[in-house]
Amino acid sequence: MSDKADPRQPAAAKPYVHPVMNPVDLPPDYPSLLAVMCGVIGVMLRNKIGSWFALIFCLQSFINMKNVETDLKQVVMAFTFAVMGMITNYLGPGSKAAATQTGG
Amino acid sequence: MGKAGRISQIHRWMGSLFRVDRLSWWLVVLAVLALLGQEIVRSSVLVVAVSAEFEGFGDELEEIEDELDQPFVVPPPVLKEPSGFQNDHGPPSDELVEDQVQDQELARGGNSVAHEPAVVKKVAEYWDEDEFEGFPEDTSEHHASVFPNEGSAAGSKQTAPAPAGPAAKKAPVPKGPQTYYIEVVGTLFLIAYVTFYFIGRKRNEKLALAWATHFACKDGIFDKNFSLLGTGDGVDSPLLMKEGQNVFKFYASGRRYCESLLATMDFRSRHDMITLLWYLVSPRKDEMTIDVHMNEDAMDSVIFAVARRKNAKTLLKERADLQQFASIVNVTNRKWLSEELTAISESREVAFDLMTDALLEQVFGEKAFAKFSSHFIAMHFTDQSPYGAHRKILQFKFTIPAEDRMAEMTRLITTVIYFIDAVGRYKLSPQARSKADATREKVARQAFKESEKERQEAVLRRKEERRKALEEADAARFSPEVLRKREEKERARQLKKSMPKIKMTRAH
Repeated sequence: MSDKADPRQPAAAKPYVHPVMNPVDLPPDYPSLLAVMCGVIGVMLRNKIGSWFALIFCLQSFINMKNVETDLKQVVMAFTFAVMGMITNYLGPGSKAAATQTGG
Repeated sequence: MGKAGRISQIHRWMGSLFRVDRLSWWLVVLAVLALLGQEIVRSSVLVVAVSAEFEGFGDELEEIEDELDQPFVVPPPVLKEPSGFQNDHGPPSDELVEDQVQDQELARGGNSVAHEPAVVKKVAEYWDEDEFEGFPEDTSEHHASVFPNEGSAAGSKQTAPAPAGPAAKKAPVPKGPQTYYIEVVGTLFLIAYVTFYFIGRKRNEKLALAWATHFACKDGIFDKNFSLLGTGDGVDSPLLMKEGQNVFKFYASGRRYCESLLATMDFRSRHDMITLLWYLVSPRKDEMTIDVHMNEDAMDSVIFAVARRKNAKTLLKERADLQQFASIVNVTNRKWLSEELTAISESREVAFDLMTDALLEQVFGEKAFAKFSSHFIAMHFTDQSPYGAHRKILQFKFTIPAEDRMAEMTRLITTVIYFIDAVGRYKLSPQARSKADATREKVARQAFKESEKERQEAVLRRKEERRKALEEADAARFSPEVLRKREEKERARQLKKSMPKIKMTRAH
């Protein structure tokens, strides 16, 4: 099936070159998109579930990040929205938890 | 371009639409406006409530002060008290009332404490429920603080307005048992998510290492065929490159006929719980893609693919080069591939030359396929690859078995090596070559024409830009008079150009 000669050619060896990816060509990061949308819903509509989902999708987007195409801006923005939503919903001035805390 | 091409177009469009710059800006603006709006609305409501409250207070104060003109012993008319315990439980903020209360307490001594609850209840009936819902507790608090500290009238006066204030504000909030379902579920989900991350990551790593141990280690098949293994430099460089929690790459180079070989392992996202739940709806298997970059002089004009019967048509539409050059090969009168497989080729001659009898017997024939090659998905040889800069590529797609059944892939990996040599050595017959060259030239000319159109448009655009730049420079330098004259001249010239050239003959 193959020659008896050694097929290896050390002289012809080429070292590995990372393929350069244009950030525009990458498939969109759906988890971080969803995280941003849920985060906005959680903050604007004072929705606890929205904030939790934002946090979870943020985590998912962060976990699925590949080393080559690290685009932190969107994830960081989504994370900011999620944290803002959590704070507004649980410690903000209009929340139930805060009312019971101060009323005591 | 086909359906797959359109889908990738849509993906790219969506990606550009949702890029950080545009969407984030609008979202931030929206969020800020929403928060501002909420704050304004909330604070305006509070202002109304607080002002109402304080009006009430003012009224009661006046009432009590009027009443206190009479001897204090007379209780308010509505209140019917069984004992002679007389307490005018006016609003706690009144200083005079407190002083009187203190005197009474001093006089009665211990009795007051026992009768407190009864009196407090009566007081609650007297006062308007809506306004003083929290009142009874506040008075009991107030009195409890007063009894021990008989001398601290001033101190209790200050604390009194404070509980009455939030008492009125707190009225609308229902006081029921707090349920924390959302928080509990959310926290549990997060804990489960993190656990799955670590478990899944380890599993993927184990699978990748198992494959590498079986094929890429010392004296393995890759070691015997390639001189450079792995991506790093140096003797002790790691063999596998981890690109994500489920993507691993193995690189090999230094062999005749080919420049390099890249094996990409794309595992299921076992580390991501949400994707695992998605796999219940649309499952997928662990896949391996082997890309061999052939040397420029080693590969003839060959366009050939083999795929499972069900995926053949999709493959044909997906790959631009297959669509342009190749078609499905139907073979009835000789020993051919297993029923499960379909061959796609530019010419039948190439198909028959590559699928030798030995190969059919050992790998792709009826019996052999079922026994040895269950992990085969597709393979695609091309010298006009539409992806990337390198045009001459052999691509193989397999599924990856479990780590204890890695040996099932051996025959397929051997086939990869075999094809590197086979395609490297293969030479087309003269007729096939001329036909192939003709087709390629045609396609290349078409591509060139399209690119020329684009180039012309680009040149026109650049001319426009340069003209505009010149105009702006002129506007800065010269006076408006000169500019106007220039513009008129330009317009006249344009008009002359656009007017049809009328041929005049002398007729007289």
